[in-house]
Amino acid sequence: MVKGSKDFKLISVIGNILKWFFLIFLFVYALFPLIWLTISSLKTNAEFMASPFSLPETWQWGNYVKALTVSGIARMMFNSVVISIAATLLNVLITSMSAYAVSRFEFKGNNLLQMMFSAGVLVPLNALMVPYFILITRLNLDNTMLGLILVYTAIGIPISTFITTGFMKSIPRELEESAVIDGANFYVRFKSVILPLSRIGIVTAGTFQFLTCWNEFVYANLLTSSPEVRTVQLGIRYFTNQFSTDYVSMYAAIVISIVPSIVAYMLFQNQIISGLTSGAVKG
Amino acid sequence: MKTTKQDKVGIALFLLPGVTLFLAFFIFPVIYVAGVSLTEWTGFTKASFVGIDNYIKIFKDPVFNRSIINNIVWALVAGFIQVPIAALVAILLSFKPKGWKIFRTVYFFPQVISGIALATLWAAIFNAEYGLLNGILELVGLSGLTRNWLGTLESAFPSVLLYWVLYIGYFMVIIFADVQGISEEYYEAAEIDGASRFMQSLYITLPLAKGSIVTCMTLAMINGIRQFEQVYMLTNGGPGNRTSVMVLYLYKEMQAFSYGTSSAAAVVLIFVGSLIILGLNKTLGKETH
Repeated sequence: MVKGSKDFKLISVIGNILKWFFLIFLFVYALFPLIWLTISSLKTNAEFMASPFSLPETWQWGNYVKALTVSGIARMMFNSVVISIAATLLNVLITSMSAYAVSRFEFKGNNLLQMMFSAGVLVPLNALMVPYFILITRLNLDNTMLGLILVYTAIGIPISTFITTGFMKSIPRELEESAVIDGANFYVRFKSVILPLSRIGIVTAGTFQFLTCWNEFVYANLLTSSPEVRTVQLGIRYFTNQFSTDYVSMYAAIVISIVPSIVAYMLFQNQIISGLTSGAVKG
Repeated sequence: MKTTKQDKVGIALFLLPGVTLFLAFFIFPVIYVAGVSLTEWTGFTKASFVGIDNYIKIFKDPVFNRSIINNIVWALVAGFIQVPIAALVAILLSFKPKGWKIFRTVYFFPQVISGIALATLWAAIFNAEYGLLNGILELVGLSGLTRNWLGTLESAFPSVLLYWVLYIGYFMVIIFADVQGISEEYYEAAEIDGASRFMQSLYITLPLAKGSIVTCMTLAMINGIRQFEQVYMLTNGGPGNRTSVMVLYLYKEMQAFSYGTSSAAAVVLIFVGSLIILGLNKTLGKETH
């Protein structure tokens, strides 16, 4: 009996060690490559080639200056910001309107619509290059920021509608009913009752949408070609040519391109986590 | 609350933009791509109907067959290795060990970085001359294992395939939330019966979190089917087309102005994706607590 409980204790100690080893290993795996990239971006090329682990003798902030001048990343950042913000605003406007209609009213085909929107999450959009290319060129929007804004607004519709609908469903009926008694019509109720109360849901959807737009590559690559409309992600593809063997400056440029995502994550971490936790992406 | 006539007009107006965009970018393209797959078309000339010729052509192409196999391997690894790891971590963190919030934050970090930036970072890690991976191997005295990871036939696909498996943050957060939602009462009852934490996790947590785990498996496997950026950036399908995937194949066909075969590959991809979703939900079910 005594021996048995000793064995049990041993197993639980080993289990504990394994658990911490596993958790910390994944922690290092997620973080270390990013730290390594950042440190490498502050070395000289000679230092970087000599050893992947050494710290720089002096921190080469000049790499960042070079990254900015060689790559034209400032212009790309500007394009990405314009496209991402425009597509996010349009997307949350359109999806909160749809979500209001399907979450607060009963009508024929409502369930079908909601099912359709959620099924959209599972459509492998990367496979639709030919139709997207034809659609955008026929609209004469190829190689324009407007074309990308349209595509990005559209591809986020399923997930944003889903998140926003979930939040709007949880608003008590009584609030809207009392607004009706006060004489508020459909549009006034949307603007002054439902929108303010589903703010958190809309911000969550917006955060996801912004990250999707900022990180999108496939359609930026397919639908634009000239440097004037190039986004950051597309720019990264050209870094290897532009920087040639100047690796450290290229890493500096990549670090610059990652910063906005990290900042958005830090600012809206709670929204992202709650968006995933509210069952938002359950198909 | 009664829906008035004015409400009906409002509903129609409010649905119009969302539904229009959904039809234009989700429904129409799927039908359109199926149509183009039955034609020979360069994008400029008039398309001519060729029946199932394009399908015969791509299935005779070893590169496409290799791509399908790679995608299926990718989907299986994502669904049956990545998601179980995520579920394990979610359960471990649900006991709220010290610093669990920091772990959760850091695990999620790589998911907010673009696929293309991550791929560039990993190209540097895999690099034969100055890469981090070879550096680590030499440091721990395993210099015999160093190699040109992306340039060698045997190691290229495993390298491209495996580095993201341990980026589990996204699925972990979804499963974690589901685990958190399980009522304490179940565990209290099990505690009285003397069940260990391990047994509790196995017999209470896992079955009750099945809904979110199956959802994550579905999402993960779809991710595996629609991969593009990583392969495009790291190897562009090489060496010897060993690392090709379906989206890369259809992209290259499109760049070669062979819209018919490109579309046929897209239809096969959508078909494989649908099979996975149906199969997974048929066998594992979808009911949640």
